[in-house]
Amino acid sequence: MDFKYILEARDVTYVYGRKDGGNASLKNVSIGIREGVKTVILGANGAGKSTLFYHFNGVFKPTAGELFYRGIPMSYQKEHLYQLREDVAVVVQNPDEQIFSSTVEEDVAFGPMNLNLHPDIVEGRIRDSLFKVGMEDYRYRPTTQLSYGQKKRVAIAGALAMEPKVLILDEPTAGLDPQMSQEVMELVDQMCLAGTTVIISTHDVDLAYAWAEEIHVMRHGHLVYSGVPEDFFNDRDSVALAGLTLPHTFSVNRSLEGIRGLPEAPYPKTNSQLLAKLSPPEAVFGTLCIRALPESEDVDREDEGLRVGIYGFRTRRAFKDRGLRADIYFNAVEGCCLSAMQGRDTVLYCDPELVDVVRRRVADLSRFGRAPEVVP
Amino acid sequence: MTSGNIIETVDLRYRYAGNDRDSLSEVSVRIRKGVKTVILGANGAGKSTLFYHFNGVFEPAGGRILFDGEPFSYRRRALRTLRSRVSVVLQNPDDQIFGQTVEEDVAYGPSNLGLPASEVSARVDRALRLVGLDDLRDRNTMKLSYGQRKRLALAGALAMDPEVLVMDEPTAGLDPQMALELMELAEQLHHSGTTVVISTHDVDLAYAWADEIHVLRRGHLIYSGPSEDFYSDPVQVYMTGVVQPSMFLINKSLCDMRGVEEAPYPRTETQLVSKMASGPKGRFVIIPVSDRLTPPMVDHAVEMLGGTEIRLGLYGYGVRALLPESGVPVDYVFDGFESCMSECLMGRDVILLCDEDCVDLIEAKIARLEDFGTKVQKMVQVRG
Amino acid sequence: MAMGLSSGSGASEHIQMDALAYSSRMLNWAPLGKLLLVIVVLIANVMTDSVVTAFAVLAIGLVLMAYSTNMRIPFMLAVAIGEAILILIVACGIISINGDPSEPCIWRADFLWLDLYMTADSFNQAWLVMIRAVAGITVMMAFATSTPIPHLAQALRQIRIPDEICEIVVLIYRYAFLLLERMDTMWSAANSRLGFTGFKRSMRTIASIAVGIFTSSMNLADKAQVSLDCRGYRGYFPIWNRPRKAGVGWVAAAAAVFVLLFVLGTYTEGVIDFAGLAFGV
Repeated sequence: MDFKYILEARDVTYVYGRKDGGNASLKNVSIGIREGVKTVILGANGAGKSTLFYHFNGVFKPTAGELFYRGIPMSYQKEHLYQLREDVAVVVQNPDEQIFSSTVEEDVAFGPMNLNLHPDIVEGRIRDSLFKVGMEDYRYRPTTQLSYGQKKRVAIAGALAMEPKVLILDEPTAGLDPQMSQEVMELVDQMCLAGTTVIISTHDVDLAYAWAEEIHVMRHGHLVYSGVPEDFFNDRDSVALAGLTLPHTFSVNRSLEGIRGLPEAPYPKTNSQLLAKLSPPEAVFGTLCIRALPESEDVDREDEGLRVGIYGFRTRRAFKDRGLRADIYFNAVEGCCLSAMQGRDTVLYCDPELVDVVRRRVADLSRFGRAPEVVP
Repeated sequence: MTSGNIIETVDLRYRYAGNDRDSLSEVSVRIRKGVKTVILGANGAGKSTLFYHFNGVFEPAGGRILFDGEPFSYRRRALRTLRSRVSVVLQNPDDQIFGQTVEEDVAYGPSNLGLPASEVSARVDRALRLVGLDDLRDRNTMKLSYGQRKRLALAGALAMDPEVLVMDEPTAGLDPQMALELMELAEQLHHSGTTVVISTHDVDLAYAWADEIHVLRRGHLIYSGPSEDFYSDPVQVYMTGVVQPSMFLINKSLCDMRGVEEAPYPRTETQLVSKMASGPKGRFVIIPVSDRLTPPMVDHAVEMLGGTEIRLGLYGYGVRALLPESGVPVDYVFDGFESCMSECLMGRDVILLCDEDCVDLIEAKIARLEDFGTKVQKMVQVRG
Repeated sequence: MAMGLSSGSGASEHIQMDALAYSSRMLNWAPLGKLLLVIVVLIANVMTDSVVTAFAVLAIGLVLMAYSTNMRIPFMLAVAIGEAILILIVACGIISINGDPSEPCIWRADFLWLDLYMTADSFNQAWLVMIRAVAGITVMMAFATSTPIPHLAQALRQIRIPDEICEIVVLIYRYAFLLLERMDTMWSAANSRLGFTGFKRSMRTIASIAVGIFTSSMNLADKAQVSLDCRGYRGYFPIWNRPRKAGVGWVAAAAAVFVLLFVLGTYTEGVIDFAGLAFGV
């Protein structure tokens, strides 16, 4: 089947309450989400981000306008809706609103059970999704006794257990401490690689800028921008009107290149890219070694004296099980690049399917300046 | 010398009923008067529990707490005084809104203090002006947006006229602009003599703002002192559940690359930029504003600077309140100082409109940049 | 706290009870079986007039509780039982001094306008009631501390209580925690703003908190509906891990226990005479 957008809204208007006094929370929004593209919906509180999300999985029906999934208009018939919600999973901001069951496994099973799947499949999905979010040890725990971060992970596991084609996360990092935010984003990255289309809503401009390939900016129920992030942030007035600010890598780059009289492009989006751009020619970089985590029990630790980073939920789990030490646990691709650029020899262990992605991300640094040398 | 400590805890211990571990254990923390303090820690580290001890809502299971050198008394009268001197703003505003209307809610605290009506209404006026909600004073509290409710909660605490203002995750859930506005207000309150204590796990915010940080991990105080010493130890940072702030990380990496000392540590973007590059700078004009703001006040400065590419920013709640009706076209309504300064570093002339009592604060910020190698030509416009 | 209003301690006790239930060694016993056992023990407890049965029931309760909590009966529970016993002592005191005036008295006093009259019967009766009640409480506590509410809902489902009701029980249980936590926080927040100084202010504050909790429960309900839809809700709650069913074994065990207690009771009625022990009557 051929379609341009996996999810599309055309001229969608939505009025809350449907009374005369109800105010429209979406006004003529036309938006297309492309399959496999990391998408961020950016906007201040109350801009209509969540309302838009609930249109994508058919929970809200537009007052006017039309929605399409894979090019087919949504029908809002019961069976179609169930199918749609199987494919498009939404994780709401506050996990307390989404956890209905009294134990972790019961809650994760809720979605798959609603799909009337065979018990063996349900069991597989529970195990798989709890493993991905690193909560398999909590399987039989009551949900009331979890911390906020753990609840958030259970909520995400509940969505993963549906094995959706599109995963929508409303403010996934809100309320999480920094390490847990990075862990969630790492998981999201892995979902993207596995072929899931991920859409994130946020007002965290740093997160949006670093992660998104395409952003859609909303303000007071209107869609005001769709496209690559740097073009939006270059228009200072629009940024201010949307209630947002400049991401710090963007504004540091802008100031520094402004002073040096150099062009702002290419736009660094992460600290490592910024530093690649700013690195003096005389700087001595360390080497970076990227390894797939071996299956066997004994990782050969010829990496004594090296800085060790880990990336991917399987690697994370394996390190935990085998009691191995790592220096960089979170956001490790970035962390290992920085470590090498600071002049230390570094090794990054990652899940096998991630090796190529990591290599590409490191190689991409040379677009900005010098990249650390990758050794086999 | 204990007189410098406005709140001090000694071996504080607390355990929630039914928990099998202490939520706070042996916490000895000193909150110094007039020092911008951040309590840093991951979720569940015990930050909020500690705050409830500061104003006597929780009574410690062990250890002592001193306010201004005097041990806490948990008698009714003493508690009342204490809670009027130490105000706590919670993370979720809905937890502390008790009135039907905005005005009523702000008046809740002061009238519980038993103040005369005139004093209550004066305090309500002031608090609402500080947070910029005076237009909405008759609004039903349930009809406010999240950001407005957050400001209302702050106004409720400010109306107590506290010596110490304690804010739990003040920027959580706020849009970036509103978060900047709130931090600016916190800085201004601090400047006017209130001791402001903030708990957060937002390391970038904590790093930019704090003079001193206290780090909590699973109920233990593991560090007290300047931020840099803490962030320089990656193992501690990792164990605490946080990460290094961007500014710290970029500075450290660049210094490693260049093989130079990391100090002085830039904490803001303009400080970082000053340290990394230099070029011709613009002029920085400060216009103090007291009770009125009109276009001619700005025109004069523009004329004097004589350029065309002049950027205008503002700083302070007073100017912000005057702005909508003044007809002055301001470029940077939020984060005015940082934005103006970064333009200035790129060679543009800038004008900063600021509250009259903040001129020395701005001057100090400009002077601070000299540590990073930037000397900006600044001028303060005299009134009249 | 001022006025003796303690911080909303309801939440923490509620949460504690739940934590206890989930860590119980009897967690995996069939909830319906446990319920059946408790019911027959309670019935046997009141069906005979023997103090020995009451003691036996007390012993069963204590053993179950000790096993359930792995010999670590939490302080909170001990306090709760202690409180109950205190109340019972008062109540039983009243029973004991309300003897039938036609029988010989063993102790008598005038207090104000009341004529206090204790007979051997009334004294024995009071002891019996007290031990029975304490035994009953202990058995019920053993059940409560080993069976989380959702398991109880499961048990209800097995005795053909409609699914809708069972689901409502589970949802109420789930949301009660959130609202109780919320109440705790609001209570502390009100305290921070001196909301409990004086009776009038305290009442106003409590009213505001009630309004706040009500509003947030409405919000929660709204949002939960949307979240349910997001997760493919089809109008009923599927159950993944069903707790063990109560089989024939449970029924047999319950019957055996009942018969034992009943027989014990019939043969030992009046064996222990408290009045005789205390007053030598």
